[in-house]
Amino acid sequence: MLNLALRTLLRMALTFFVIVTLVFLVTRLTGSPVDFVLGEGLTAEDRQILIRYYALDRPLWDQYMAFLRGFTDGEFGLSFVERRPVAQIVAERIWPSLQLLIAAVSVTLVVAIPLGIFAAVWRDRWFGSAVMVLAFFGYAIPDFVLAVFLVLTFSYWLNWLPVMGNGTALHFLMPTAVLSAALMRFTRNAMLDVLGQDYMRTALAKGLPEHRVILRHGLGNAWITILSVVGLKLAGLAASGSVVVEAVFSWPGIGELLVRSAIQRDYPVLQFGVVAVALAVIVINMLTDLAYGLADPRMRQGAGRCPSCTPPPPPARSAACGTRPMPCSGPPC
Amino acid sequence: MKHLLIATALTGALAGAVQARDLTVAAGNMSSYLDPGCDHSNVGSQFYYNSFDPLIHKDYSKVEQVFVPGLATEWALVSPTTMELKLRPGVQFHNGATMTADDVVFSVNRMVQADFPPYQVRMRDRLANFDHAEKVDDLTVRIHVKREEPLWETLLNLQQLFILPEAYVKSLKGDPNALEHDDYEAFSLAPVGTGPYRVAEFVPGQKLVGERHDGFWGDAAPLDRVTVVNVPEVASRLTALRTGEAQIATNIAPDQLALIDADPGLKAEGMLTPLFHVNIFNVNHPRLKDARIRRALSLAIDRDLLNEALWLGKAHVPASHTMVEFGDLYMPELTTFRYDPEEARRLLAEAGYDGFEVTYDLHSPSYYTNDALAAQAIMEMWAAVGINGKISAEPKWTGNDPEMMVRTRSNPRYFADPFGSFGVMWAPNGPSESEGRYNTDAGFAAAWERFRFGTTVAERKEAYAEMMARFEQDPPMLPLYRPYASLAMTKDINWKPQPGHIPYVLDFRGGAISFASN
Repeated sequence: MLNLALRTLLRMALTFFVIVTLVFLVTRLTGSPVDFVLGEGLTAEDRQILIRYYALDRPLWDQYMAFLRGFTDGEFGLSFVERRPVAQIVAERIWPSLQLLIAAVSVTLVVAIPLGIFAAVWRDRWFGSAVMVLAFFGYAIPDFVLAVFLVLTFSYWLNWLPVMGNGTALHFLMPTAVLSAALMRFTRNAMLDVLGQDYMRTALAKGLPEHRVILRHGLGNAWITILSVVGLKLAGLAASGSVVVEAVFSWPGIGELLVRSAIQRDYPVLQFGVVAVALAVIVINMLTDLAYGLADPRMRQGAGRCPSCTPPPPPARSAACGTRPMPCSGPPC
Repeated sequence: MKHLLIATALTGALAGAVQARDLTVAAGNMSSYLDPGCDHSNVGSQFYYNSFDPLIHKDYSKVEQVFVPGLATEWALVSPTTMELKLRPGVQFHNGATMTADDVVFSVNRMVQADFPPYQVRMRDRLANFDHAEKVDDLTVRIHVKREEPLWETLLNLQQLFILPEAYVKSLKGDPNALEHDDYEAFSLAPVGTGPYRVAEFVPGQKLVGERHDGFWGDAAPLDRVTVVNVPEVASRLTALRTGEAQIATNIAPDQLALIDADPGLKAEGMLTPLFHVNIFNVNHPRLKDARIRRALSLAIDRDLLNEALWLGKAHVPASHTMVEFGDLYMPELTTFRYDPEEARRLLAEAGYDGFEVTYDLHSPSYYTNDALAAQAIMEMWAAVGINGKISAEPKWTGNDPEMMVRTRSNPRYFADPFGSFGVMWAPNGPSESEGRYNTDAGFAAAWERFRFGTTVAERKEAYAEMMARFEQDPPMLPLYRPYASLAMTKDINWKPQPGHIPYVLDFRGGAISFASN
């Protein structure tokens, strides 16, 4: 386990450095903020004055070193547009985004996973089918359609839920529902895969009670897939900041900020914002890896895969166990 | 009975007195900074008027200009190029400081003697004739212009000359007694003025909260608190009215009006926005140098059809670059721009148009209401006369790009004179010319001089007609229409945009808003 943690940390540091460098270069390849922020009516001379004022006349390596120094002294500079500290702007936006992520994960764990299990176990009954249909729509309908549909139903027609910003707990309901909708179907599929496995039949044949088989053998194995998917989805949400959901619910999150600063080429905000989000993704991936290590004993032995990048293969059959399945969380073979 | 009546009246009056009036506006966009000096965007203009005052106000409920005292109570020319203004005594800034002549001199000179490009741009395009302001005594200032100025009051009413507290601005960054560029940047995050609402909270790009300024010199603010929140999605803005989270929603497109009319709790208020949506042409692009090509691009566009299809006929299609607010200089009789596909075809053939591609730069993401739809329709209209047009989505300003051919743009009316709309963009050495996509010659410059500084209306009109004739022959732009802008609100609110303002002003001063009693 310690080995896994060390490898994960090392990979994290390397990823971080690559991202920091790429972000710096890419933001500068595509245009100057002078054109985007103050473009109109400037003479060539005005442009030169502004380029000097924003210190964009310094050599690229010099700007790069200043950017890197920010990570040691905490000085990330001022936004070209808002002229206030970048760290303050990003912090203002990243917290509402994190709150939404945490809410979405909580709902997924508390509601979507049990529902996914029920849907899988009772897949032949109306209850299972109903949950499945719901989950299918949640997965298949694009975020923006679902978001607008919820707004129209619960705010416009029924007047039950607020739609503007993140002021109260009620504000969280609809955006959280949109973000966690897609996760339920994955849970159900993971459970379905597991239910069809030989070891489930074996466990039932041994005479173990059904609920124990499902919870220990079934969920114990499905957990690995669920973890990967939740990790991946979360990383995706953190990276894109769920721009669409933020726009529909006027959520003051990081997604809108990044899009706007990219359009305006507000380098300081864009650089720091992307790095902050990258850091969040890296941390989420690391936590997923570690959780994965806890859930799957094979990971602790240094299989060296990136679990959040590829779905796990079906449980392998170990030679030592003959034809019996690999003991994951089930009884020893 | 009499007692009962008195008691009822008293209760009513007391209830009215203690009832807090808060208002929330769901706005389609929100500023990243607030400085009325360098800003002339359609986003910033929404807010400034509630928190700042000019020296000379006007009656904004009227289309024509009727000037009334602002921070100056009287004004008169003391020489052909010098105006003396008596200042209103006891005016209090939001930070408690009392306004003096020093603040006025500072506020005028920071613009007319600007030394930083974002301010110099504004100085050049509208205040270039102003020289400097000087203090006579604590409540008297003199403002000097370079040449006799026919538009004194009009220009002193500009947002760019709103009055700021000198000591506060200077104290913000660096040396507390000196003016640095950083001071303006700090000011634009924590602005202080003399208007009826002080800026209580400003989160750039997200939210602006104004609270009643109790020391305001004029009619008390009718609202205790007004909160403007950025709600980018139009469906969410309308929904916020239904959930009670907001009472006014801005930027409502014409296709939403039927929905509002059908709602018993909501209503829409709108007016022709005092600006034109325009297409600008790069006259110096090698492919467009021949004026006949640009005339064909213009003649091929059926603007009345665009109005019918996209604006339900509520927009206004101008025959020339003229607006009713120009007063004596409104010239609807001019026909500078028209639809004539036959003439377009003839000009294209004459110019030897070989089917080359004409790119049409469209701001991305969409910036002007209906801009993408209009662009697609225009491509079809061009195709109908044989022009090979192509839309190019552009996230940045391409008006200074030599490769730019045609681009979407708006030409606002910054003040009620052709100079304040046409002139701000198309004057010799103005922003269009300095960006290299438009040229003026000696003949045009002479006509501009007669128009800008002419002492009689007839002289100014004659010169303006000459400039329009030149635009017809060698067009650098085409005004598409004056868009119709609507706001939606709950039915208990009596508010509407006022015709005397620049575009998009959310005026919540005394007399501008009231609430229907239930």
